[in-house]
Amino acid sequence: MKSIVQVKNLTKEYKQLRAIDDLSFEVQKGEILGLLGPNGSGKSTTINCILSLLNFSQGSIQIFGSEMGPNAYQLKEKIGVVFQDVAVFEELTVIENIDYFCGLYVRDKKLRKQYIEDALQLVGLEEFQSFYPKQLSGGLLRRLNIACGVAHKPQLIILDEPTVAVDPQSRNNILDGIKTLRNQGATIIYTTHYMEEVEILCNRVIILDKGKIIASGTTDELKALAKLEEKVTVEVSDLEEKYIEEISQFKNAQDVTYHEGILCISYKKGKNNLVELMDYLKKEKILYHKIFSERPTLNDVFLELTGKDLRD
Amino acid sequence: MFFHNFKYSLKTLFRNKMLIFWTFAFPIILGTLFNMAFQDIEKNEKLDIIDIAIVDNDFFNSDSLFREIFEVLGEENEEQLFHIQYVKEEEAKELLSEKQIIGYLILEDSPRVVVNQNGISETVFQSAVEKITQTSEIFKNVSEKKINDFIEEAQGEEIGNYNSWYAEIYENLMESLEEESSQIRDTSSENLSYTMIEYYTLIAMTCLYGGILGMTGMNQCLANMSNNGKRVSVSPISKGNLIFSSACASYIAQLVGLLLLFLYTIFVIHVDYGSSFPLIVLLSLVGSFAGLSLGIFVASFFQSNENTKVGIMISFTMLGCVLSGMMGMTLKYVIDKNMPLVNRLNPVNMITDGFYALYYYDTLNRYYLNVVSLLLFSFLFIGISTFCLRRQRYDSI
Amino acid sequence: MTVFKTFLKVLRSCKGTVILYSVILILFAVLNMKSGDNSFNFIAEKPDIFIINHDQREGITENFIHYFEENANIVNLKNDESAIKDALFYRDVNYIITIPSNFREDFLKHKNPIIEVQSTGDYMASLSQMMLDRYLRFANVYNDTFSSEEEVIEHLTDTLMKTVDVQVASKLDTDHLTQVTNYYNFANYSILAGCVFVICMILFSFQREVIRKRTMISSMNYKKYNRKLLFSNGLFAIFLWAFYVLVSIVLFGTSIFTSHFIFYLLNSFLFTLCALSIAFLIGNLIHNREAMNGIVNVIALGSSFLCGAFVPVEYLPSFVLRIAHFLPSYWYINTNERLKTMESFQLETLKPILMNMVVLIFFILLFVIITNIISSKLRRKSA
Repeated sequence: MKSIVQVKNLTKEYKQLRAIDDLSFEVQKGEILGLLGPNGSGKSTTINCILSLLNFSQGSIQIFGSEMGPNAYQLKEKIGVVFQDVAVFEELTVIENIDYFCGLYVRDKKLRKQYIEDALQLVGLEEFQSFYPKQLSGGLLRRLNIACGVAHKPQLIILDEPTVAVDPQSRNNILDGIKTLRNQGATIIYTTHYMEEVEILCNRVIILDKGKIIASGTTDELKALAKLEEKVTVEVSDLEEKYIEEISQFKNAQDVTYHEGILCISYKKGKNNLVELMDYLKKEKILYHKIFSERPTLNDVFLELTGKDLRD
Repeated sequence: MFFHNFKYSLKTLFRNKMLIFWTFAFPIILGTLFNMAFQDIEKNEKLDIIDIAIVDNDFFNSDSLFREIFEVLGEENEEQLFHIQYVKEEEAKELLSEKQIIGYLILEDSPRVVVNQNGISETVFQSAVEKITQTSEIFKNVSEKKINDFIEEAQGEEIGNYNSWYAEIYENLMESLEEESSQIRDTSSENLSYTMIEYYTLIAMTCLYGGILGMTGMNQCLANMSNNGKRVSVSPISKGNLIFSSACASYIAQLVGLLLLFLYTIFVIHVDYGSSFPLIVLLSLVGSFAGLSLGIFVASFFQSNENTKVGIMISFTMLGCVLSGMMGMTLKYVIDKNMPLVNRLNPVNMITDGFYALYYYDTLNRYYLNVVSLLLFSFLFIGISTFCLRRQRYDSI
Repeated sequence: MTVFKTFLKVLRSCKGTVILYSVILILFAVLNMKSGDNSFNFIAEKPDIFIINHDQREGITENFIHYFEENANIVNLKNDESAIKDALFYRDVNYIITIPSNFREDFLKHKNPIIEVQSTGDYMASLSQMMLDRYLRFANVYNDTFSSEEEVIEHLTDTLMKTVDVQVASKLDTDHLTQVTNYYNFANYSILAGCVFVICMILFSFQREVIRKRTMISSMNYKKYNRKLLFSNGLFAIFLWAFYVLVSIVLFGTSIFTSHFIFYLLNSFLFTLCALSIAFLIGNLIHNREAMNGIVNVIALGSSFLCGAFVPVEYLPSFVLRIAHFLPSYWYINTNERLKTMESFQLETLKPILMNMVVLIFFILLFVIITNIISSKLRRKSA
């Protein structure tokens, strides 16, 4: 496989803070790479460095095999970017906004017209063509933001948290759109702090914290990193201390917490954990309301690796 | 590509309602207010016909000099100075307290003027009465001298009738005091309407406020200033190209606003910009260019949000307007006279003073000095901006 | 208490505006304070004159210049052309007299030397013209009568010394009252621009706060909240008014404490309340920060220009004054103007002033009613 983006030993320092610390990774053609990390982990900074918007102290960035720089216009032509903050003109309608940004890449008017229609269709804004951004809801605005970034059919698309504060319907629309883009052959870098999205979309994930890669691989590979296998949650009121003691003595139980009527048990590898627990509860005649078991998520992986929650 | 960005820059500028209000509508509103408030102010400074009263008593009736001269001064013609009521003293007092007259004259042993307050009309009244008493003094002196001369000449011969001599001397004197004076030649310029300065500052203000357009346009091109700026920065268009076409669009928008103001002030308010049309256009173009360069400078030099930048632009422009006489032309004069450097460096004043020079001065030296100053100002600011804009990558955004 | 705290926070962010308008007001008042002569003697107005003398300052020329030195203010200017031209344009001088080089000689030879003048054409220039004209005529008469220059000068000086006794009937310190009136007239702008702007900003921030709170806790006591808001804003307006009154006392000294002062106070207080009601109207009508800024500016500048806060009322064209009747500022300024020349305080003389105040109260009620109608409509719409 051919690598589309190659980041080598990238280091970026703000006055005191080291925002990116000797970061190296590659993005392969046709894949969706997820950059995952909490706020302030260096995701956006990495993106801005790749795009030559920011100075960096060390390292090199190659895109499509050539050195990236502010004047690398042949490279820029093939890149589409959707930034974290909505970047559209208040004074222009939906279609004018797309036309403006697309026009910076595509000069041929006929072709551009076709591209704009495709973009509108991609994000589902056909009915809102002549609306002004002010008249759009938050989710629709995000969709417009994406349309503006990808209308010129770039080969490399960089999306920086495109779904922050978006209603579920728009989010699904956006995620579908991204899949469509991938299917059309684009390579995508996708930053987010929503694990669910990464799990749905990404072939490969890089987890960043404090400007460093703390883990990378496919979602399954990463999940394997989490030492726990299963998490069981039980709603049960007034559980006595001695039961909790006993439950933590179970064979595979790793960690047991009880807080405000919710009992959480994390298990290492092993089978029949749920059955064992239910039998025990029955035997001790403990009444419970709901009980369910979960497989670990990337959040758990992250928690395991850094000791803090992703959504902080 | 130039055209694509240019077209959309124009669209965004013209659709920005707040921008249009401050740069286009606000000067026109202000101009209308100026016009309503100032249109009579200079007319009011001309001497009006003054309402006075004269106490109609025996002293007055027996004094032909007073009677005749006031008759002339009260005649209804173009040079009428007073509107006179001849009344009894009690009535005069009442008229004065009701402010129907500014004062009255009463002749007793000596003339006495009674007024309500100090003032210009009162002074004119006093001066007129003074002139009559002085004239009678002259008559006394002159007739004394002339009659002495006659007596000397006659050397004791029969002299004839004194009264006819007096009458003759009196006639001659009155004639020489009333004939058209040919000794004073008025060479003042006709273009002396100082309220024009208000409108010139208005034009100057519009030129510099126009810079806000340029600033907004510029912010949309800079990655460290706006989200849109980030987006255009990652497009395959060179920064120079974007900035240049945005600046051109802003300049065009500025000129449209200025043109509207010119049309409004010329055809509705009747502002006089002097007679040289091409020079007015040149000054406007250069003035707007100075505004644009200020806008670009503020956009690229200051690392703050857009509201602060608009604040900087407005404060700078308003300060310049005040110093160049918008809130009272006296201030411009005082500064021109005592701190000339301040106004030589003030772009608002360069524009105002340029129009002033066109309107009032016969030579063009002062006008060209202002045009050259504006160009220097613009190129200096554009130079600094270019230096700031050369950065392609930022340390932080 | 939270209402008041938020209020103070917003107020602090607006302090620049308040300071700006206050400084402008004080600056205006100070610039207007001529050294008022409080004696009740008549003082003739003196035009500002500049004399360019190309002759030797001797004999009749000396007398000519001396005459103007006595009866006019001789302005010192740099003798360069543009300085003189500028001085004339900006009314630094009303009249420029150029004495030709052989004035004395030509005059004595009865050649009627020509005096060049430049004039601003205003009343001071007319007065100067009258003085110059009189001097030349008198001088010619004596020159024709007497042969020696000394005699001419002697008689001329004697004659021009003859003055007329002028009595001032009014016992009112008009200079002082004019200054106070000008101050309170200008305060029209400061109150409108400062007070209305700040209160609009406060209302604007609170409305956002209300919207935020509405989503957080639905059980907010609206009436109590609004009452607190009104109270805070009223407090601010009254504070600003008291501050401007205090400034006037500091500027004009204790001589301000006459019966006139009570009415200046009452009038400006009513007007402040009126500004408060305008602010509430705008604050309820417009929900966009920049638009608010624009409208406040237009209202403050417009009212001030059209009603005579900047330009004395007597200079305004009559059609402008007719329009001004629709603005509260007109009635406020009209009262100030009447106070300027008010000599006695009887019911009869006070009647027009009281009428003006009634009109102001009427305006306040009108604005309050409109505000209520609008805000109840808006609430129904959003409900």
